[in-house]
Amino acid sequence: MAQRLTGLCVFLALPALAMAADTGEEPNIFAGGLSNAIITLVVFVIVVTILGKYAWPPLMKRLEEREETIRGSLLHAKQEREAAEKLLADYQAQVAKARDEATAIVEEGRRDAEAVRQRMHEEARAEADQMIERAKREIGLARDAAVKELYDQTAELAVNVASGIIKKSLSPTDHGDLVQQSLEQMKAADKSRWN
Amino acid sequence: MSLILAADNPLNHVVQHTLWDLNPDGGPWFMVPIVSNHIIMQVVGALLLLWWLPRAVMKTAGTDEINRHVPRGAANALEVICFGLRDRIFEPNLGRHTNRFTPLLWSYFFFILISNLLGMLPLSDWFYFVPGHLIGGTSTGNIWVTGAMAVSSLVLIVYNGLRFNGMDYIKHFFMGPSFLAWFIALLEMAGMLFKTMALAVRLFANMLAGHILLAVLVSFANLGTTIGQILSPVVVLACVLFNFLEIFVAFLHAFIFTALTAVFLGMAVNIHHDDEHEHEHA
Repeated sequence: MAQRLTGLCVFLALPALAMAADTGEEPNIFAGGLSNAIITLVVFVIVVTILGKYAWPPLMKRLEEREETIRGSLLHAKQEREAAEKLLADYQAQVAKARDEATAIVEEGRRDAEAVRQRMHEEARAEADQMIERAKREIGLARDAAVKELYDQTAELAVNVASGIIKKSLSPTDHGDLVQQSLEQMKAADKSRWN
Repeated sequence: MSLILAADNPLNHVVQHTLWDLNPDGGPWFMVPIVSNHIIMQVVGALLLLWWLPRAVMKTAGTDEINRHVPRGAANALEVICFGLRDRIFEPNLGRHTNRFTPLLWSYFFFILISNLLGMLPLSDWFYFVPGHLIGGTSTGNIWVTGAMAVSSLVLIVYNGLRFNGMDYIKHFFMGPSFLAWFIALLEMAGMLFKTMALAVRLFANMLAGHILLAVLVSFANLGTTIGQILSPVVVLACVLFNFLEIFVAFLHAFIFTALTAVFLGMAVNIHHDDEHEHEHA
């Protein structure tokens, strides 16, 4: 307890001691000496040396690493962008090429279809023409056959009628001449009628 | 504490208090202080820097590929200050020599800054029980300290001017007509000396003035019971505002000293570069 009291007394007395330490001289703002300058330089040199070894190199290193990282990232990003642009250009070229090819295919299909249509049309026309020709030929043959049959029947009928009228039989030569003569007349008559 | 303030001359808070002087009878102008509050604060500031800065700059958000590049905590502020100085002040002046001098110039900045900022703390009041005001004070409010820093700056400038330019560095002081060359060289050399010494005076005067102003303001609160009580709120408010200003000034003058050193150093090491620019403009 006594020690604590003594300590407290000393502690309270310190301000007075501090005041007593002042010499009472007028304070001089230029107070100091060459030793101040020398100590300052020594302390500063120590600071420069130690900070130059332990503080600034890590800071500079981190800055350089960061600059390198940022530069690398920017370079990488630039390369990636250029690659992406190149890829995009390739894709665009491929798309354009595919579009051209598709257009060409469609155009070719259209041309082929037109050619097929044209060919089918011509074939149909040719077939129709053939059918018409054949029909005409058949009609002609049928007509000729009908006319011949008509001539034959008419001749026979005429002979029969004439035989009956003149009541006489003709010799085969007369008969043939008569038939031939009748046919000539009928052909002439028929030609004049058809023309 | 108020007892001390009441009793003290305001200058007592800013001047050097010497405990051990090798030449105690030399008077105020011929002291050889070995232990003083400014020397102690300087050493404390240096120790703080040496303890804190290497730890602070190493702090990153993580160790993986990305986060190891991301600063954390105070390292952010340190990076902004350091690389702001390097990119905006050192690089334009020093050019290709930037990386060579950057660590040294950063050390100038932080050494002056820590001295300025430690002077902002009312350590002499907190440690009032330490005899002789040995704790506290602004070491950069001492012309011998700032003078030593300025001399180191001058040596740095001249040495590197000679190192990188040889005799061309000396020759570049001699300009104009031959009959004026010596005179101009003398003026140039004196100008360089005064410019660097102005660094010392500027830093010293600003640190001293700011702290004297604060000490005077505080002393107003101790003018007497009634007047002191009336003035106290105003004094406290003014002290708070001036402290903000002083924090700014602490950074500003560390910056000015460093920036001007970089400018003068750049002018010394890049004399050919300047000539090339002149030829280009011509």
